[in-house]
Amino acid sequence: MSLINEKKDFKIIADLIPAKSSVIDVGCNDGSLLEFLKEEKDINGRGMEIDQQKVQLCLSKGISVIEGDADLDLYDYPDNLFDYSILTYTLQATKSPKNVLSELVRISSKAIISFPNFGHWKIATSLLINRKMPISEKLSYSWHETPNLHFCTINDFIDLCEEAGIRIEKQANLKTNRLNKFYGKNLLNSYFNEVGLFLVSKIKN
Amino acid sequence: MNENKIVDLATEQALVLDCGKSLKSFKTAYTTYGKLNDAKDNAILICHALTGDQYVASNHPITKKEGWWSYIVGPEKPIDTNKFFVVCPNVIGGCMGSTGPKEINSETGKVYGTDFPVITIADMVRAQKLLIDYLGIEKIFCVTGGSMGGMLVLEWLSKFPEMVHSAIPIATATNHSAQNIALNELARQSIMADPNWNSGNYYNSDNKPLKGLSVARMAAHISYLSKDALHSKFGRNLQDKSSLDYSFDADFQIESYLRHQGFTFVDRFDANSYLYITRAMDYFDVSSSNDGSLIESFKNTVSKVLCISFTSDWLYPTSENKKIVKVFNTLGINVSFIEIETDGGHDSFLLEEPKLFEAMQGFIKSTYENL
Repeated sequence: MSLINEKKDFKIIADLIPAKSSVIDVGCNDGSLLEFLKEEKDINGRGMEIDQQKVQLCLSKGISVIEGDADLDLYDYPDNLFDYSILTYTLQATKSPKNVLSELVRISSKAIISFPNFGHWKIATSLLINRKMPISEKLSYSWHETPNLHFCTINDFIDLCEEAGIRIEKQANLKTNRLNKFYGKNLLNSYFNEVGLFLVSKIKN
Repeated sequence: MNENKIVDLATEQALVLDCGKSLKSFKTAYTTYGKLNDAKDNAILICHALTGDQYVASNHPITKKEGWWSYIVGPEKPIDTNKFFVVCPNVIGGCMGSTGPKEINSETGKVYGTDFPVITIADMVRAQKLLIDYLGIEKIFCVTGGSMGGMLVLEWLSKFPEMVHSAIPIATATNHSAQNIALNELARQSIMADPNWNSGNYYNSDNKPLKGLSVARMAAHISYLSKDALHSKFGRNLQDKSSLDYSFDADFQIESYLRHQGFTFVDRFDANSYLYITRAMDYFDVSSSNDGSLIESFKNTVSKVLCISFTSDWLYPTSENKKIVKVFNTLGINVSFIEIETDGGHDSFLLEEPKLFEAMQGFIKSTYENL
């Protein structure tokens, strides 16, 4: 998949997950992240994938996968079934990002979320100068054929988490490959990160 | 290698049935394909559906047609007979050699008829378990089957969880819905309405309840197909004629097709068996021994499971299959699920459906490699 620098992202995600954790990857694609995490961290992994061809690929690799839709099928899981849920580059394609986020932190202790940041300076500048919906390596579709329904910026995501009672624990800087403590909403954060990658959890009442 | 075998089971101890009665001895007819390896870890048990039998991958002795799952079972197929030891028994209550209403009751020396005890899916599985023991298999690599076969798979997962490494229940349900029961009751009533049925005592008569059984099959056959498939295959086309006859002959192709399905079915199936097996399906509720709790019923299940449903199946729809997936997810069972898009209806698991082939092959191969 050209959208993400796979191995680099995988490594950062693996660093966030303790060995032998139970993990669900929602929108697990061909299962390569789950395979990577199995190898690196010996996780007990499950996948959910909407595209049947990819479900077939997962089955042939021995990955347990549910053909399902993040908007509809997360409700079928009980509270805290998993240690970690992962949603990479899928949030912007869901019908209801807020519900999906809330479900993820309900079914798992912690969730790892990544998405293309629409507030990145290249995107913002492209929109400002060309007055056309931006197309980049990470946003590779034309506006009329994109599966992405809900673009957001890193700052938007931070606001949504606040609204949904979700705590941001860590944020990854994919340029430096570093996991940072989350420093909060600021312009630089949204401006310079092409991708938002966050570790979040539910704020307990 | 794949010829039909018949074995007497429960010779030491009677098989106690859910109804309270017991079978002091009973026969199981079964076929096997491939070889059990030294580790005895390559056995696949195939559970047939209502009108299926043990001829899963070999020609049927009566119809001479190829096995009902030849598309899935054979060399290089998803259930690869070069690699696996495949066992397919005829269920008890059946009519292809296993003890059922048309067989002789060893205690009385007479044909059972309707003296045969009412059996359940759990009874069928208990009988299958004795066969697996007899074959020296401690852990079955994979148990699979569609429709009623899927119910047997679920029963295996619930009652003998430690004996099942992996399982593929296809187009099935954890119990029969009111609609399922209604359709089976229609079939039973049509058999019993045939005067030749004679309260089940027809084995010594020249006149057997063929009309009733045939109508039962016609009704059931409609439920195996989807509206779209019927429409595209037959539409309102007329059978060998250009205009309506203004009679009750088979004017439409669909009528002729259904009559053919009915006529040919009676050559290979026993009317009383049809009553007994449909009853077992109606009584089926995998959670009945746990006060209706599916969670309790599968709490010891440790198998790797693949559930498969078909979009156009209205008899055992995706929603029923997803119920199984939900329970397994809740219990943290290693479950996968795929819904195959097809207009083939419930019968899709018996058709040449490439996506079914691919899913089963992928799952079975990778699961065996990671054994």
